[in-house]
Amino acid sequence: MQKQTEKRTGKGRKPGSTRAADGTAYSIGDNYRYAFRCLREKEGPGAFAVCAGTTALGILLPFLESAMAAAVAACLISGREAGSILLLVGGYVILLQAVRFLYNHLRETQGKLLTTFRIGMWIEFYRKCVEVDGSYIESAQGQRKMAQARENLFSGEGSGIEIYVQLFWTVISNGLGLIVYGVIVGRASLLLLLLLLGQVLLMEAWEKPLREKTYARIKENARNRQAFFYLRRESIAIESGKDIRLYRMDKWLLRAFHEVVDRIVSLEYRTALGPLTGGILEGICRLVVNGIVYGYLIWQMVQGSVTLPAFLLYIGIVSGFGVWMRGLFQALQQIVQTKGHMDRYREFMDLGTGEEDGEEKVKNPGTPHEIRLEDVCFRYEGGEKDTIHNLNLTIPAGERLALVGLNGAGKTTLTKLLCGLYRPTSGKIYLDGQDMAQMPREEIFREYAVVFQDVFSFSFPLAENVSCVREGLEDVKRLEESLEKAGLAERVRELPKGRHTVMNKDLDSEGVTLSGGQMQKMMLARALYKDSPIVILDEPTAALDPIAESRMYESYDEMISGKTGIFISHRLSSTRFCDRILYLEGGCVAEEGSHEELMEKGGAYAELFNLQAQYYQKEEMHSGEKEEEAHA
Amino acid sequence: MHEVIATHRVGFRLLKKIHETDHKIIPVYLLQIVFQLAQTYISLFLTAGLVDALRLGEFRQAIVLTAALLGANLVGTVLVSLTEAAIRGLRNVAGLAIFVWLREKTFSMDYETMENPEVAEKIAFSEKTSDAYGSLGMVLARYRDIFQAVLSVILSTSMVIWLCLTRPAGSGTFLERLAGPLPSLLLFGCALAGMAFFSGKVFVKFSEKQKAYFEANTGMEMREDYLLNQVFLNEKAGKVIRLYGMQDMLMGNAEEEVKKSKAYWGGMFDVMLRTIQANNGLNSLFAIGSYLLVTVKVVTKAITVGAFTQYVGALNQFGNACFIIINCQVRLRNVCTYMEKFLAFLDMEGSHVKGTRPLEERRDGAYELVFEDVSFRYPGSRDYVLKHIDCRLNIRGRMALVGPNGAGKTTFIKLLCRLYEPTEGRITLNGVDIREYDEEAYRALFSVVFQDFKLLAFPVWENITAGFERDDDKIWKALEQADAADIVKRMPKQLDTYLYKYLEDGVEISGGEAQKIALARALYKDAPVVILDEPTAALDPVAEAEVYSRFQEMVEGKTGIYISHRMSSCQFCDEILVFHEGEIIERGSHEKLHALGGKYTELWDAQARYYA
Repeated sequence: MQKQTEKRTGKGRKPGSTRAADGTAYSIGDNYRYAFRCLREKEGPGAFAVCAGTTALGILLPFLESAMAAAVAACLISGREAGSILLLVGGYVILLQAVRFLYNHLRETQGKLLTTFRIGMWIEFYRKCVEVDGSYIESAQGQRKMAQARENLFSGEGSGIEIYVQLFWTVISNGLGLIVYGVIVGRASLLLLLLLLGQVLLMEAWEKPLREKTYARIKENARNRQAFFYLRRESIAIESGKDIRLYRMDKWLLRAFHEVVDRIVSLEYRTALGPLTGGILEGICRLVVNGIVYGYLIWQMVQGSVTLPAFLLYIGIVSGFGVWMRGLFQALQQIVQTKGHMDRYREFMDLGTGEEDGEEKVKNPGTPHEIRLEDVCFRYEGGEKDTIHNLNLTIPAGERLALVGLNGAGKTTLTKLLCGLYRPTSGKIYLDGQDMAQMPREEIFREYAVVFQDVFSFSFPLAENVSCVREGLEDVKRLEESLEKAGLAERVRELPKGRHTVMNKDLDSEGVTLSGGQMQKMMLARALYKDSPIVILDEPTAALDPIAESRMYESYDEMISGKTGIFISHRLSSTRFCDRILYLEGGCVAEEGSHEELMEKGGAYAELFNLQAQYYQKEEMHSGEKEEEAHA
Repeated sequence: MHEVIATHRVGFRLLKKIHETDHKIIPVYLLQIVFQLAQTYISLFLTAGLVDALRLGEFRQAIVLTAALLGANLVGTVLVSLTEAAIRGLRNVAGLAIFVWLREKTFSMDYETMENPEVAEKIAFSEKTSDAYGSLGMVLARYRDIFQAVLSVILSTSMVIWLCLTRPAGSGTFLERLAGPLPSLLLFGCALAGMAFFSGKVFVKFSEKQKAYFEANTGMEMREDYLLNQVFLNEKAGKVIRLYGMQDMLMGNAEEEVKKSKAYWGGMFDVMLRTIQANNGLNSLFAIGSYLLVTVKVVTKAITVGAFTQYVGALNQFGNACFIIINCQVRLRNVCTYMEKFLAFLDMEGSHVKGTRPLEERRDGAYELVFEDVSFRYPGSRDYVLKHIDCRLNIRGRMALVGPNGAGKTTFIKLLCRLYEPTEGRITLNGVDIREYDEEAYRALFSVVFQDFKLLAFPVWENITAGFERDDDKIWKALEQADAADIVKRMPKQLDTYLYKYLEDGVEISGGEAQKIALARALYKDAPVVILDEPTAALDPVAEAEVYSRFQEMVEGKTGIYISHRMSSCQFCDEILVFHEGEIIERGSHEKLHALGGKYTELWDAQARYYA
């Protein structure tokens, strides 16, 4: 058993990895069916052969060890000739070593197999990440759940699905070992068998409530570990460094760290009592059981009905029985500990992927559409009130529309509804009179090109970042045109590998990092390449300086010629080249009209515009006055 | 050999650090080793006695020995359980300590150093590898195994030597001569030497392979981390991926990466498997040889049958221990390879020379800050971010910094706050180079709200005081000034409300609200210089106007510096610095600069024309 314990201790700890298992939506059996289906898909039926083989040899090996002690003793006291004794002992030992060699080989092979299996599962997780609803990935709750789900696959070899599968075989091997040894003992004495069974039942009575408590403990410490993980992330982030130094937050953070560590450790201590008494109880059990077994066997020897080799064999079997029992309970305990990982993971993998979408195609793909909203409401999951409330709106094809309003008025949510990222909680959105709920999302997405405020690139080749397809599949001419129009072509020509240059250094040490302004142009090039009939610009200029901003406006202007354009900006100046302005307030349209109309109306929009314009107009007035003075 | 020493140099340093963190950890581990070994070896002796007693029919003695055996087992079990219970908590102390050390170090480093991509990579590497391989807990466990194995080797070797020294009953036959002390010692010695020699060979061969493998695949963990966190779990990326239909492209790239990962980790297993096999083979040969040696001793009546079990047990222990030593050495090497980088990071000279001069306390806030021909470039970079800046900050003045992206405005602020040090030139405070002042005391002069400010998932009051003593009146005053009082009043527990939901079930706040709370933190600090870096980029016009109007009030009697792309902000500043390509090209009031018709006019008009 030496190696087996080796393996167990070799498992190592993984900070911040244990997660809670509050609900038990998935039974253990159900989880195993799922895990084995995945294993079969990823590694084929051969995987099961390896695991079963390891298990079988794992039972055989300790048995052979016990049997050999008896056999060699029998040999030694048989009074045979020295040469034949040596031959026999040599034969036994070679057999035993051969089995051990095979067992170790199989066990390591199993280890490799399960690790590559776990890594192979990453791709399923990734796929799910890009398939789940867009609103899920953006919500705080969704982010938390994804962080929990990932633990099943990403927190090292000692956790999650890998250990979960391995534990199944550990249970089988210990359980079968228990049965086999029980049968051997039972053949010699039913009474002894009953004694051993009694020991198992007693230990199970002790272990069962412990297993149940494990849930609560894991859950509580999961919170602490989550807190630790949070502190780790925040305290090491480079951008935090400035605040930490200027506000001397270091002591505060270190104090928080020590508090969490203390909480984790004291909880471990508090719960150590169960296993401690369990260990002592088991020791006492073993004392009693072994006392009876040894006594019985010695008595039998006195009677002359048991020989020394038989004595050694039974002693070996009985103590082996204890090892199986310990192993079984440990494995069961670990299954309970790991179950939370599996549950969270499966919850995530079972999320709907928008299959409820209809099958209808967009009628005139690639042409400007009329968009119509009918009583549209939207509420975020867990939200208290609608973010968008009873919105009715028609956007004619080719219109240039500005969405303005205060923070939290629902502008960004509205654009996400328009382009199909979010589905209305109630109400309908029509594209050329066709209900968007009846179309697959991908169809809708194709009609929209959106430039968001946050600019970043994926650390893949530039061409992939712009064309959004793998290298080699892109339309090179279109790509070059888009780069040209976006004003990035020159920079791309300067790059070491042109459009094939990998962005950033995450995946390629020779990657290139673009500046903020260049990145912004890349976002623009991406939208141009997509060439969709509806263009949405969600505050793309917030981080730009006035001149870059002004230039960006001009390039957008050109970009949306002949298309529908929707703008969101806090800089009301941008509304000037829009046909119509919608002023949103609390998820409803409060005012609408052209800039002139709204200014004339003197409502909320006019107020907002003047608020911003006053600083600039004051100047105009100033200089106007000055000019007048100069004339005078 | 070199490598072994290097590994243990790292390992022992880590053990020492663990010991410094908590003095109980290592003694408890040692105790456990002693208990476990004692239990094993006492059992061996008692079992041997028992077998002999039974064989000779001395049943009374057999019962005594049984009682002793079972009793010793119970005591051993209890003691081991006790240490195990202690270790449950202690291994967490050790396992988590590394992250705390890492932070202590980063906090003590200069910001400039921390920001350096190479250093940032070192930090990230230490973090990721600790996660991937189990960090210090692993080191501790491996050392426990090695140490226990080494002790076991010593014990079992002395037992085996004792075995060799036993004399057979006769000395006539070949076997009896073979079983004599000298021949058996020689045999055992040869076996031992052979084992040591080949084990060493296996180990060296494996080490080289492993090292080559590591070097050929460096950075794999970082790649995996990028893909997971920056692509697939990135909340900002989600919408872009969906809208632009990037799924196929990303999955294509991901499949390639996962293939690489599988090959990498699989390859690591293969290298490991081959060593373990070689090691195992050696171990088996040794086991066969040792069984035969003991058998020879028994058949020549040098030892009893009972002693047979004892010595075979000892030889088994010996073989297993050798196996463990090599195996653990291999794994330890694995861990220490990256832990070495971690230690190198802890040893890094991460700071400029720190001054100690105390700051002159001035109630009137008359701190005069002057840039004297200051230039700055990042270490290792040739291009200057700032060039020959000469500039005196007016005491209690309002200053606006404007200019295109990348012109050096934020760098100017970082230099001022001593987050960076000038490459050339110097910055003085009341005529003294700021480097001469005590760093903390100097930084106490500044209240800054950076563009990427940070609030933590702690109660509101702690965020505002930055973890320092709580003064409710002062907090509310700061909140009031920052227009954040209403936000906090709406929260369920007001100042005691946790922000976000990471640590406690707190409240989520919008970007605008967070900005106001960050502003309150700056005001609570009540420093003589207030700096706001792009505070209105995410704000709507109403909130923006409010910040503008409050700015005057906030910096009443203080020096105020305002960075913004919104040119409107220049209206309420006395002086404007126009940055362009690392230089201050224009300086003066709005009227003066606008009349100048230079860069400032260009910037202003670019925005103002839309409002005309």
